[in-house]
Amino acid sequence: MSSTTLQTAPPDAAPAPRTRRAPTATRLLPWLLLAPSLAALVVITGYPLVRMLWLSLHEYERAQLLGVPAPFVGLDNYVATLTDARFWTVTARSFVFMLVCVVLTITVGTLVALLLMKLGRVMRLVLSLGLLLAWAMPPLAAMLVWGWIFDSQYGVANHLLTSLTGNDWMGHLWLIDPVSFFAVAALVIVWGAIPFVAFTLYAGFTQVPGEVLEAAQLDGASAGQRFFRVQVPYVRTIYVVLIVLSMIWDLKVFTQIFVLQGIGGIKSETSTLGVYIYEMGMAQGHYGAASAIAVIFTVIMLAISAYYVRATVKEEQL
Amino acid sequence: MKILRFGAVGIAAALTLTACSGGDAGTGTASGGSQGAEIRVWLVGTDTPDEAREYLTTTFEKENPGSTLTIEEQSWTGLVDKLTTALSSSDSPDVVEVGNTQAATFTSAGFFAPLDDIAEDLGGDDLLPGFVKAGTWEDTFYAAPYYAGSRIVFYSEQVLGGAPVPTTLDEYVATAKSLKTADRSGLWFPGQDWYNALPFVWENGGFIAEPDEDGTWEAGFSSPGGIKGLTQVQDLMVNASNAPKDGDEAELQVPFCAGQTTFLSAPNWIRWSIQAPADAEAPGCPDTFGADLKAFPLPGTQAGTTAKVFAGGSNVAVATKSGDVDLAKKALTILLSQEYQTILAENSMIPARKSLAAALPDDEFTQASAAAAANAELTPATPKWGDVEAQKVIQDALVQIAQGGDVETIAQQLDAQIESILNG
Repeated sequence: MSSTTLQTAPPDAAPAPRTRRAPTATRLLPWLLLAPSLAALVVITGYPLVRMLWLSLHEYERAQLLGVPAPFVGLDNYVATLTDARFWTVTARSFVFMLVCVVLTITVGTLVALLLMKLGRVMRLVLSLGLLLAWAMPPLAAMLVWGWIFDSQYGVANHLLTSLTGNDWMGHLWLIDPVSFFAVAALVIVWGAIPFVAFTLYAGFTQVPGEVLEAAQLDGASAGQRFFRVQVPYVRTIYVVLIVLSMIWDLKVFTQIFVLQGIGGIKSETSTLGVYIYEMGMAQGHYGAASAIAVIFTVIMLAISAYYVRATVKEEQL
Repeated sequence: MKILRFGAVGIAAALTLTACSGGDAGTGTASGGSQGAEIRVWLVGTDTPDEAREYLTTTFEKENPGSTLTIEEQSWTGLVDKLTTALSSSDSPDVVEVGNTQAATFTSAGFFAPLDDIAEDLGGDDLLPGFVKAGTWEDTFYAAPYYAGSRIVFYSEQVLGGAPVPTTLDEYVATAKSLKTADRSGLWFPGQDWYNALPFVWENGGFIAEPDEDGTWEAGFSSPGGIKGLTQVQDLMVNASNAPKDGDEAELQVPFCAGQTTFLSAPNWIRWSIQAPADAEAPGCPDTFGADLKAFPLPGTQAGTTAKVFAGGSNVAVATKSGDVDLAKKALTILLSQEYQTILAENSMIPARKSLAAALPDDEFTQASAAAAANAELTPATPKWGDVEAQKVIQDALVQIAQGGDVETIAQQLDAQIESILNG
């Protein structure tokens, strides 16, 4: 939310300097305050971005890492990427997977947030702690644990299914079928993403004035109507932020897929964009080609964020 | 603020100074007396025995007073990525071990320093020729052989019972199939284990890929011999193995020690993992299935012959970006010395020097391994082969074969993929 206040500030503040000049110190102060974060952004995001653009226009392989000059190839890397059927398959796969994950994350996250509203103090604390632990777990460590849960021979998932259903699930391979592979991946990713969504929505829901909900109830609105007509509109901007962030996170997912591929499954049928870029760059040493894919990927991400920025700016101007 | 900033500048300056002096020490040793340089050696996996590690460190430090040698153990998983990053950085290790099939990726791109000037000290013509070839690029020798090994077939006498040890490849397949029960595989054959699938392709007259007259590569999994071999592989994976259809060849001692298989085809040194003490960090089963452990080389199509198997092993090289290439070469010379290689041989690893084969222990595991190694084959000699391994195209195809897919279609797709990578 702080970002929206920052964005609205310039239009209000702009006319002031024109009428009477503020002292130099006053004009420089905002920039001074911004300087540390700008410097960090330039070093951490700016330089790699420029480097990536440069790489994408050159033929850069392993030999170039050791100082062999990289020939300039113009847009060849982009043409090769965009005409490669594998790139489009991977992109389509990534988008479908992202959509499924986002819908699941937001839906379950909302339900958990509503549950947090209804729970008593003790149970709310227990649930919050559980969510925090899931959130705090590093993805790599989490993946190793989940990998063991779905292990075909010793996994607790197969063991539970066998004792619950009576059928023999031992030896069932969860990762060999791409659909099943992505079901496991989605489970892990949604599990890791729910805490943030649930906490943020819970914070939002507690800001909905009680009297408005009470009034709606007196007017005969059902629970569902109160949720969709009162609570959701109040936290609409939060939803937009969460959905856009989830889209970006789930689209660029890497660790979970990469680790699962190491545990089992068919690599060529389960790679998403992040893993594909890694395969192309780190594993095979085609850094130029990998950078071209990464640039295209960045443009896609920017398009998604641009929609969000425009939507919030518009909202503030109304 | 000011004090802080000056402090930071001071620290930065100090760091730069130490970095410079480190560099100076490096160039100083190049011209003469070595003083206080540190050599970092990357060994991969736990294969190198502790005795050899100790010998390397103490010998190096005795021969080069004032300098130290540190061994840093790396994992085989993701090794190519890690070496690429480390060897091109300013903090490069000095001496590195690399898988023999991975060597070309680095020799062709300038990651390793040429060794032609010390080739004779390293062993010259006494070195394993296949590995010298793997470490040579455009007539320059970059990576020396380190050790070799090959897969042999392990079994436990109490499990095999009275059944005869197979003498031909067909018998091997038939025996493995007949021994399969719901709880025990005849042969443990996980879907991704491509090293163990290759002998069937080679024995039936197939090949991985061969260069045409004009230099383009032609893949041979869909050749008649390749199809025949892969069909045998499918027969084994489906009808003789309970191993996960998408599993890989890591930690093979676990199913063996759990009594889940009769035959296990694995590198000869896995014997130490199987017979590791029951209370070790990675426990073996010395008292149960490891107590009467036996092994034989994979039989060939004709009785009395051994099958062509995959030549496993490592090469060692000096990093181009090493701070002190000359000192690193001295460390490399110790790795290839008679004494060091004898220690490896005594621990059942086939030494890089052919003349030391006599030092191999006279047990059946080592004998079986030596017999298999005599007939070992390598992967295609092109730096792009590393891409084929990195994309796991063979593993993906085998997983589909393990699931009962149509061998001919899968083999044709696999060949198309391999050709597009090797000729791309």
